[in-house]
Amino acid sequence: MENNNLYIELLENDLNPFILFNSNGKVKRYNKEAEFLLNFVGIKELFELAVSNASINFGFNQKYISLKFNKLLFYAILVGYTSEDEIALRLYKVVSNQINSINKDKLKLVNIFSLIELSKSSTLINSNLTIDELYDVSIPEIKININDFLLCINDCFLYFINDNKISLQVQIKIGEYEIIDNKKYKIVALEFVANRKLEIIDILEQKAIKANANIFINKNRLILELPMIL
Amino acid sequence: MEKFISVSSSSKKVLQIAQMSSSLPVDVIILGQTGVGRKLLANEVLPNEQVFEAKELEKLILDNKVNLKEFTTIIIHNINKVLNKNEFLDNLQGIKIVATGFNENQDYINRFAVKIEILPLDERKEDLEKLTNIYIEEANKIYSTSKVPKNIKIDLSGNGVTLKQSIYKSILLQTMNKQDIMDTLYNFFITEFKAERSYKALLEIFEIPLLKASKTTYKSQLKMSEKLKINRITLRKKFTKYFGE
Repeated sequence: MENNNLYIELLENDLNPFILFNSNGKVKRYNKEAEFLLNFVGIKELFELAVSNASINFGFNQKYISLKFNKLLFYAILVGYTSEDEIALRLYKVVSNQINSINKDKLKLVNIFSLIELSKSSTLINSNLTIDELYDVSIPEIKININDFLLCINDCFLYFINDNKISLQVQIKIGEYEIIDNKKYKIVALEFVANRKLEIIDILEQKAIKANANIFINKNRLILELPMIL
Repeated sequence: MEKFISVSSSSKKVLQIAQMSSSLPVDVIILGQTGVGRKLLANEVLPNEQVFEAKELEKLILDNKVNLKEFTTIIIHNINKVLNKNEFLDNLQGIKIVATGFNENQDYINRFAVKIEILPLDERKEDLEKLTNIYIEEANKIYSTSKVPKNIKIDLSGNGVTLKQSIYKSILLQTMNKQDIMDTLYNFFITEFKAERSYKALLEIFEIPLLKASKTTYKSQLKMSEKLKINRITLRKKFTKYFGE
């Protein structure tokens, strides 16, 4: 007799997210990766993705499609249903061969807020942009590649130079970590919020990578995340 | 040692950015027109640092006449004059650079983590006033006078450089006595004679300022002829010749 538990465990531990919806779009079952994915994308959006890519008749449909939800990238999806009652969605992650590593020689212990202040003052010296700042001042001094980090946040501020008002929140992310050289680090996030829909720019991504940071856009939010190396 | 003048709000901000950059391992570029204070601000970022003219340093690097490993920090003036800027900056990797130059739309400027732009003096009224007073005081000391120059013609085409020149010139001219003027003219004529200038041609050096001054003082040609004791027709002829009036 087949062991159904094995299939369930296999899906549960899969590196790719798996979600099973009922006909109303309610989640019936999901695995660990899907739980992580749901931090960045709504259930409704994923249900619509599944329905719009389902095969005409009962069965399974594979589709190669580039998807990005914050920093998570996917190259394909699989949608399947065998009854009118439920539909399954599996997303296939883009896997990078690049080892997550940092050149620690160039890092220097620094107060991140003084760098933000410096970047803001020099970049927006003749600008009318108003920034509502919400900083978690309990963030200690962290090790940063100062030059590359400044080049990156200069461009972040320049991205909003024609806006009237934005907000900037700097905080430690709760429950999220980054693994670098097999070490686990907390994440410091700089979240720029504008009153318009934002689009990512290649040069910003390149500069973020150079500064050992991740950058991504979520609707009207530009989020820059960097490991809190002490 | 001269300090960067920062009375206006814009230059206060600029100075603050320079001071914040001072202790950080970041490359800084200071942009602005000639005479706005780029060199002085560079000294605020890196006090007592070795200074190079960019073009000269480029030549030294090309000729292998400088050991860049000896430097951890460096000030480079007029980086815009370097031919291949990106290659030049590649050679200086690992050194904290404070460079000065003009604001131009070129990629190399984006390699600097801190960009500071100094506004021209005519957009910094408070700084202009302060600098004017400093230069008047300096010039008075040099020319041993305490005169406040009247009708001073300030030239801001080269910001602080031409401001200083124009103030010094104004004060110098006001302190000259008859003998100084005659000595100056003597030297001037010696030079002019080398170009074989005639008596008639050189007469304008004397007549133009004389006529201008008398017009300012006496207003009408009638009064001028009376006071200068010169025939009115002759005076009119001279006005027509020099001023087309």
